[in-house]
Amino acid sequence: MAYPRALNRLVEVLCRFPGIGPKTAQRLSFFLLDCSREEVVAIARAMVEAKDKLDYCQICGSLAESGFCSYCSDGGRDRSLLCVIQEPRDVLVIERTGQYRGLYHVLHGVLSPLDGIGPEELRFEQLERRIADNHINEVIIATNPNVEGDATAGYLARMLKPQGVRVTRIAFGLPVGGDLEYADDLTLSRALDGRRDM
Amino acid sequence: MESLFLKNFRNYLQQQVYFHPRVNIISGENGFGKTNLIEAVYYLSVTRSFRTSNDHELAGFPGRFFFIKGLFSKDEDKHLLQISYNENQLKVIIDNDRKKRFDHLCLFPVVVFSPDDLLIIREGPATRRRFINLHVSRLNQYYFQELRSYHRVLLQRNKLLKEKKNRRDLEKLLEPWDDSLIDHGCTVIRLRKEMIRLLAKEATPFFSRMTGQQEELSLEYIGSVDSEEDNADLQLLFRELLLKKREVEIRRQVTMVGPHLDDLSIIIDEKDSRKFSSQGQKRTAALALKIAEAKMLYKKNGKWPILLLDDVFSEFDNKRKERIIEFLSGIDSQCFLTSSIALDPFLMEMARNYKVFNVQRGVVRDEKDGDSC
Repeated sequence: MAYPRALNRLVEVLCRFPGIGPKTAQRLSFFLLDCSREEVVAIARAMVEAKDKLDYCQICGSLAESGFCSYCSDGGRDRSLLCVIQEPRDVLVIERTGQYRGLYHVLHGVLSPLDGIGPEELRFEQLERRIADNHINEVIIATNPNVEGDATAGYLARMLKPQGVRVTRIAFGLPVGGDLEYADDLTLSRALDGRRDM
Repeated sequence: MESLFLKNFRNYLQQQVYFHPRVNIISGENGFGKTNLIEAVYYLSVTRSFRTSNDHELAGFPGRFFFIKGLFSKDEDKHLLQISYNENQLKVIIDNDRKKRFDHLCLFPVVVFSPDDLLIIREGPATRRRFINLHVSRLNQYYFQELRSYHRVLLQRNKLLKEKKNRRDLEKLLEPWDDSLIDHGCTVIRLRKEMIRLLAKEATPFFSRMTGQQEELSLEYIGSVDSEEDNADLQLLFRELLLKKREVEIRRQVTMVGPHLDDLSIIIDEKDSRKFSSQGQKRTAALALKIAEAKMLYKKNGKWPILLLDDVFSEFDNKRKERIIEFLSGIDSQCFLTSSIALDPFLMEMARNYKVFNVQRGVVRDEKDGDSC
C-alpha cells in the first residue's frame, strides 16, 4: 500500500534516528498524526530549542546551555580532580553515582586509526592545557574498556605523566551484589587481573 | 541434536529431518547433498562452514538468503537454535535470545572429520591457525575474546602504519597500540601453547597406536615471539622484537611480530610432516588431531561433542577405518556419517542404534531404523 507523500517523508526522516527502523518510524508517525497540532508543534519546538541552546562547555566539552556547563561553574566541586570520558552522555552516567565530586573532560571520541580519528580529532590539546594551567592532582581515565578505549588511555597516560600529574584508570570487574558463579569468564578474568592488595 | 530444518540452504529448498540420538547414516550419490546436511549441523554450532568462509555460497537457488533451525537437547533441556542469513546479514537466535556470530561456540560443540582435514597438515600456517583458534575458543571463552581484541588492535595498528606521518608522531601514536598488542598477544600465545600441550597429550598415544608404535607424533608451537619463560618475560621479549622490527614495519606498513603469524608444527619422527611425511602419515596425523580435539571437548564438558564424519570411509584405508570405528563404538556421542557407497560392513558392525537417510537431489528420506543388527 502506498502512503501519502507527506507520511512517507515523515517515516523516512524518523528512520534516521538511531535504533529506529521502518516499523517503529511508522508507529511514531501515526502517533504524531493522532496528536493535536499544538502538541506536535511543542515536540518540534523542543527539538529545535535543544539544538539551538545546547552547546559544548568551553572548558570541559560536556553539554552546556550557556558557554560553561553546570559542573565547571559549580564552585563546590573538587577542582584538583579530573575525570576523562569519551562522550558527553557519560557525564550523566558518572553523575548518577553521586560519588564523584571532581570535574570532567570530554574527549568526544577515542583514538581509532580505522575511523581516521587521531589525537587532533579529540580534545587532547585542551586537556594538556587545562592541566598545565590549573592545579590538578589526579586524572581518572574512564574511557570504555575496549581496544580503542584502552589505547586512548595508554596514549593519555604517556602524554600526561611528564606533567607530574597522577594518572589512574577506573577499575573493571565484577558487578556489585553479583555472585562469582554468575560472572562471565571475561569479566572474571579482568577482575582477577585488576585485583588489589588488602 | 533432535531435528533440523533447512530452507534454501545449498541444494535444499525446504527440508525437515528428525535425527537418531546415536548414529545417523546419510547415504546417497555424489552431488546429491549429503555433505550439505552435515554442513548445516556444523554451521549451527560454529556459525561458519567448514567448507567456505563465504556465507553467500550457502544460499541455494536464486536469492541471497538461507535459514537453518535446529533443536538440541542438553541436560534434559531443549534449546532451539535459529540462524538466518539475508543479504550479508546474519541473525543468530537461541531460545528467543539474539546472539552474535561465534558467541555460542562452547554451547553445542561438533567435530568434523573429513578428507579435507589433510589440509591442516598440508596447507600454509593460516589453516593451522584457524584450526587452533577454533579449538582453543571452544575450550576457553576467554581466549576467543582475547583473540578478537588482538585482531582489532592489529587492524588499528596496521592502519596506523599505513598513514603518512612523520616518524616522531608515528612512534608516539604506536606506543599505546604496542602495549595492547603485547598484552592481548601474550594471552593468546600463552593459551594456545597450553592447549597445544594438552592436544599433543591426546594425539600422540593415538598416533602411536595407529602406526603400531612405529612412529611418533609431536606438536610444537612455532611463535614469532617464543620463550620458554613465564608471561612477564614473554611480554618483554614481544616488546623487544617490536622495537627491533620497527624499521621494517614502517617500510612495509604492516605488523610483523605476533601470534597472527605463528604456526603449529606437526612433527612425525622428528621431521616436519608438512614437508617430509607421506600422504598416509599426514592423514593419520590429521585424524589424530581431530580425535584429540573431540577428547578434549569431552574432558571439558563431560559429554562427547557431536561427531560429523564426511565421507571418511571411502577415503581412508581399512586400518584407519577400523580405528575410527573402534573410537566411535567406545563412546556415546551422536554421530552423522555420510557415505556414497552402499552401507559398509564396518558400519553395520559398529552401529547398533542407527537411522539411515537417503539423499536424492536435495530431498532427504528416512530409509530405515535399526535397533540391532
